[in-house]
Amino acid sequence: MNGGPALVSIMRQGSTLIASVHTALNDSELVRFEHDLVDQIGEHRSRGVIIDVAALDVIDSFAALTLRRIADMARLRGAQTVLVGIQPEVAFTMVRLGMGTGAVPTALDLEEGLALLAEQGSHHPRPDEPEA
Amino acid sequence: MEQAPEHDSAQSGPGGHLLSQLVAHLREHRTRLQEEWSQRIQQTHLLTAMTPQEMAAETTSVYDNYVEVLETGNVEALQHYAKDLSERIIPRGVETHEVVGIVLLLRDVLARSLFEKYQRDFSMLNEVLDAYEPAANRIANTVAVSFVDERERVIRQQQDAIRELSTPVLPVRERLLILPIIGVLDSERARQLTEQLLSGIRKHRAKVVVIDITGSPDVDESVANHLVQTVDASRLMGASVIITGLSPKIAQTLVTIGVDLSKMNTIGDLQGGLEEAERLLGYTVTRKEVSTSS
Amino acid sequence: MSATERSGDAPGHTADDVADLIPMVRRIVYSRVGSHPSAEDLVQETLTRVLSAASTVEPGMLEPYAIVTARNVVSSLWRDIDRKNRNQHRLVDLSAPEPPEKQVVLEEEQSAMAAALARLDERERRALLDHEVDGADTHALAARHGTTAGAVAAQLNRTRARLRVEYLLAIEHVDPPTDRCRPVLIALSSGDQRRQREVQAAQHLLECEPCARLSQPLLERGQQRNDCLRIPVSSDADIVSARRAARELATRLAFGATDLTVIATAVSEVCRNIVRFAGSGEVVVELLEAPTRGIQIVARDGGPGITDVDRALGDGFSTYGGLGLGLPGVRRLMDEFAIASEPGHGTTVTMTKWEGTDHERPT
Repeated sequence: MNGGPALVSIMRQGSTLIASVHTALNDSELVRFEHDLVDQIGEHRSRGVIIDVAALDVIDSFAALTLRRIADMARLRGAQTVLVGIQPEVAFTMVRLGMGTGAVPTALDLEEGLALLAEQGSHHPRPDEPEA
Repeated sequence: MEQAPEHDSAQSGPGGHLLSQLVAHLREHRTRLQEEWSQRIQQTHLLTAMTPQEMAAETTSVYDNYVEVLETGNVEALQHYAKDLSERIIPRGVETHEVVGIVLLLRDVLARSLFEKYQRDFSMLNEVLDAYEPAANRIANTVAVSFVDERERVIRQQQDAIRELSTPVLPVRERLLILPIIGVLDSERARQLTEQLLSGIRKHRAKVVVIDITGSPDVDESVANHLVQTVDASRLMGASVIITGLSPKIAQTLVTIGVDLSKMNTIGDLQGGLEEAERLLGYTVTRKEVSTSS
Repeated sequence: MSATERSGDAPGHTADDVADLIPMVRRIVYSRVGSHPSAEDLVQETLTRVLSAASTVEPGMLEPYAIVTARNVVSSLWRDIDRKNRNQHRLVDLSAPEPPEKQVVLEEEQSAMAAALARLDERERRALLDHEVDGADTHALAARHGTTAGAVAAQLNRTRARLRVEYLLAIEHVDPPTDRCRPVLIALSSGDQRRQREVQAAQHLLECEPCARLSQPLLERGQQRNDCLRIPVSSDADIVSARRAARELATRLAFGATDLTVIATAVSEVCRNIVRFAGSGEVVVELLEAPTRGIQIVARDGGPGITDVDRALGDGFSTYGGLGLGLPGVRRLMDEFAIASEPGHGTTVTMTKWEGTDHERPT
């Protein structure tokens, strides 16, 4: 993102994009993140996306909605998304608020997220793309 | 004889002069009155948990504090002392009625000495008592309240400790936690359980959690709700939850609040739950081996 | 209209323009002095002043100028009456020689002060003047009125609070538009939080532009309370700062990590509603001591309001797209939740989280 220290970093590792949120984001920053990430998924033809939200101390309805929308858009572009790093307090608050992650799978941290992607990738190979 | 700070209600008005007179009297006869008080305490079998030495030390302190409050009207020091005293004697099983009892005894011992001193001058006696009684009652009140406060604090602390013991998060093997719930779950305990479980998941990097509620006879709707939220929150942290030992009654409650039981992983007994957990983990492990080798 | 020819060359304003203002000026003057014998003189004096200035007044500004002038003229009437009736020359001596410009400002201030003093009732004014001007201390005043020094001091504080308000009203030439204005401003001036709640001061400030403006200097002089935060909310970034501030304040109580997150999240949600639906508003976060310790959050806006509050609180309803979860979720997060909304007048959400009985544990 432009100006100042990066709020979010997006790295590529093989066919997986790893997006780490470094600090609390406001709504506009979240939306910009959404666009950046979805653009990069298309650009790199990624098959997996991991979003690390460990740095978010609040995931309110807008943030949850945005994360779900990213996962939806990613799926439309052929990538599976895993959310990792949701903090215990944040997890419970999200549930109370009535905002889960919907159908988006979650994992404890980056390592688990990568394992989950690998597992799902080998378990449900998508018919439209041949496996590497 | 003006030493009255403005905040003191006991001293303002005509009582101020009398109070300082009676404070002087109580100071003068300190040894005799205190002894008399100690005897009365023994006769009424109060504070039997204390040794005579302890008793002597405490009665001296209480007496001096008491007189000081009469003089200054400032109960703050007494409050501190009463709290401190309570802290020391509560673990030894001293009861509320004993503490209130000894303060009331002191009040009476002192009142009696005032009777003796002023018995010839009835109107003077009346005035002295008018000044003394409200101050003395205020002291008794302060001590009792401090003691009860402290006692409640201790009880709360113990409750917390018991609660913590009663919802242990047990790491039985790598990536697997068991949370046996024993006894009645109220919403406070349920809240604690959630916090412990969620932080336990992170700490032990758990992938599967077995919550066994065989030992919990019944839950109300709000606790059932909480349980379901805990399951959902665990999932957000990447852990699957298996619930075992669900009684028909609790199952019914869950259905009543609109929980879709088919979406919850429920297994009849703990043994079955552990097997399912191993299956989930074993499955994961083999897949991982496959994936890392590819 | 003897001065007609003078304004003939004014670019925007003619004598006819001034003549058009006569009914309005008359209304302003009469509404203030009623049937005072010199009312008509005041009208004429106002018009003369307006006329003489008409050539220098910017186009379109003549009417406001006339309003201000009328008020000035009326205040000087009050001032004159006041000077006659009261022995106040030490405080408002207007007969001093007239040095240039500065004197105008001074005069304005003095007339405002006189007008303000005139609004006080006889007893209040007397006590204040005895105390401030003649230097009578509170004990002496107490003895004189058969009351206590404390009561006198409290009364003096109330009087000063009133005086500040009346002075501001006079010097800013504001005529309070509603009955609620004065009580609200006085409550703000005295810094009395309870009274401010009673008169719903914060709500009023959102609705009443003149009071919002006048409240600025009144609020600035009161020292900031450190257990109460007021955060204006009008942008995305404000949402984040509001929830951060609320969390920070909440850490002073024994809230656990989950409760802190819950509070921050609830604040985030209500702030977003303000930004989305009202454009701007404010959030007041306050620590409570009674009936038990807790944190209260009041989110207010002057926006379009919610037509059907019950529906908005039902799960599945939302005016912005998506999941239809907003207020019901917030209500689940907090211990107490109340919403008041009036279409066209905005929405106020008041919510509280009580401090739990268990204590923080390290996670």
